Amino acid sequence: MTALIADKLTVKRDNATLLDGLSLSLGPTGSVAVIGPNGAGKSTLLKVLAGIEAPTSGRILLGDRDLASLSHAARAHALGFVPQHFDPHWDLSVGELVQLGAERGERVAQEAVDKIIAAFELAGLGHRRWSTLSGGERARVLLATVLVVDPPVLLADEPAASLDIRHRLDVIRALAARGRDRLSIVVVHDLDLAFSFFDRIVLVDRGTVVADAPAPALLDDPRLDAVFGVRFERLQTNDGWLLRARL
Amino acid sequence: MRVWASLALALLLAIIVAACAGHDWASPGDVLRAIAGDPSLGARLLVEWRIPRVLAAALVGALLGLGGTVFQGVFRNPLAEPYLLGSAGGAALGATVALLVPLAVPQSLLLPVLAFAGAWGATILVIGISRVSGAVDAAGMLLAGVAMAAILGALRSFLMLALSDETVSLQIVLSWVLGGVQTPSWPVLGLMAAISAACLGLTLVLARNLDILGLGETMATSFGLNVNRFVMLAVLAGSVVVAAAVAFGGLVAFVGLASPHIARWLVGPLHRPLLPASALVGAIVVTVADAIARSALPPAEIPLGLVTAVAGGPFFILLLARRLRT
Repeated sequence: MTALIADKLTVKRDNATLLDGLSLSLGPTGSVAVIGPNGAGKSTLLKVLAGIEAPTSGRILLGDRDLASLSHAARAHALGFVPQHFDPHWDLSVGELVQLGAERGERVAQEAVDKIIAAFELAGLGHRRWSTLSGGERARVLLATVLVVDPPVLLADEPAASLDIRHRLDVIRALAARGRDRLSIVVVHDLDLAFSFFDRIVLVDRGTVVADAPAPALLDDPRLDAVFGVRFERLQTNDGWLLRARL
Repeated sequence: MRVWASLALALLLAIIVAACAGHDWASPGDVLRAIAGDPSLGARLLVEWRIPRVLAAALVGALLGLGGTVFQGVFRNPLAEPYLLGSAGGAALGATVALLVPLAVPQSLLLPVLAFAGAWGATILVIGISRVSGAVDAAGMLLAGVAMAAILGALRSFLMLALSDETVSLQIVLSWVLGGVQTPSWPVLGLMAAISAACLGLTLVLARNLDILGLGETMATSFGLNVNRFVMLAVLAGSVVVAAAVAFGGLVAFVGLASPHIARWLVGPLHRPLLPASALVGAIVVTVADAIARSALPPAEIPLGLVTAVAGGPFFILLLARRLRT
C-alpha cells in the first residue's frame, strides 16, 4: 500500500507554465477522478506523477521515498500508466503485448499473466494482432498490459474517451473499481462519469488544484461552473445527479 | 521451428550454389572434393579463393541484416536503413583516403580499418551534434545524419578531385563505393566470423528494450526505459555492426533495409527472433547477389552494390507503395 504525495510541482516548458506549484496528497487506496478544462494541466500532472516527465521544481513522494530516487524498474512496477493514445509501432499480438507488460521491472509469475488475461476476457485473443482489434478490445488489452504487474498506483489518462458508451462504462468502471484496494487516479472527461463512479474529485485549472473533495461535496460547488466557464444545471435522477451545461 | 529450418536450409543452398558459381562453374561435387582436400589446382583455387569469398559475403549480409533491424527498431520507421546516420558517407570518406592517399601501411589492412573508423566516427559525430544542439531524440539524430551525409559527401568529392591524376584512377574508389566483398584469407575469415557472432550477441542484448521502445516513448518510459539513453546506446551498437559490414563489404545497397522486412513477415515483429532471422535473410541475399556479381558477366565482376540495388530498388518501391496505401 503506497500513498502518493505531490509537493509544490511546477512544470515550465518554453515559457509556458503547465503546472504551477501544484500540491496533492493521496492515500494508499481510493478512486480519484482528475477533471478540468482543456489545457488545465491534467495530462502533464499525470505524466509527472508517473515519473514520465520530470518537474521543473517540486517533488513527488511514493510512500516514504522520493520518486526521483527510485530505480527505473522499481518505478515501472509501482506506477502503472495508461496513456490517452496508445498505438504500438510494431503489430504485436495480444499475448506478446501483455508479456511485455509483465516483463517490465521485476518479472512476474506466469499465473499473473494468465489471471489478467482471464480478468479482461482476452483468452481467445492471444494470437490476434493489434491491428485487427476493435477499439473496445484495444482498451482491454492496454489495461491488461499495464495492470499485469498489479501496480499499487494506477494513473490513467482516460483511455476510453473515444469508445462507445458501453465500452466506455466498462473501462471507467474497471479503473474506478481498482480504488477499493489500490490507488487509482484517472483523468476523466465526462463529468457525469466522474461524479458517478469515483470517490474523490480533483478539479484542476491553470496548473493548480482548484478544488479537491469527495464527489458528493463538490457537486454543488460553484467553482465547478467557474472553471469550465459554463452554468451547470444539477438534475436529480433516481440514483444520483446529472450535470447539464448551459452557456 | 519450420521457419528456422527453412532459413538455415536456404542459406546452405545459397552457399553451395555460390561456391559453384564463378567464371568457371564448379559442380557441387567439385566443391565437396575441394573441401575434402583434393590437391588439384582447381580445388585449391576453390578453397583458397572462392569459398572464403562466399562465406565472407554471407557474413556481410548477416551484419547488414542485424544493423538494419536495430536501426528500424530504434527509429521505429520501416524506411530506416543502416546507412542513415552518416555511416555510409563516413565509410566512403575513409575508403577514399585509404585508396588515394599514399600511406606506409598495406592497403588491404588500411581499407577496412579506415572504412570502419569513418562509418563509426560519422555516427558518433552525428550523436554528438544532436546532443550539443539539444535534439537527442530520434528526429534530431536523423536531421543531424542528413546534414552529416551531405558534408561527408562533399569532402569525399573534394578529395577525389584533389588527389586524382594520371597515375591514380578514380575507378577503384567508385567500385569500392558500389560495394564488393573482398576475398579474405582463412584467418581473416575467422576474425570476421568472430566479430559477426559478437555483433549478434550485442544486438540481442538490445532486443527486449527495442520491443518496449516500439510501444511509443511515453509507454516505454512508464515501463522503466530511459528512452534517450537507450536510443543513443542502440545507435552506437547498431553503427558498430554497420561499420563492420562496411569494412568487409563496402557499401551494399538495400540489404539492410529489406532484410528486416522479409524477416518480419517470417517470424513477426518481436526483436529476439527478428534479429537472427534478419541476419539469416541478409546472409542469403548477399550470398546470392555476390554469386551473381561474380558470374553474370565473365570475366568482369559487377559491383555487388549494383546487383543488390537492381533487385532492391523495386522492393523499396513496393514497400513505399504498401506504406502509402495503409
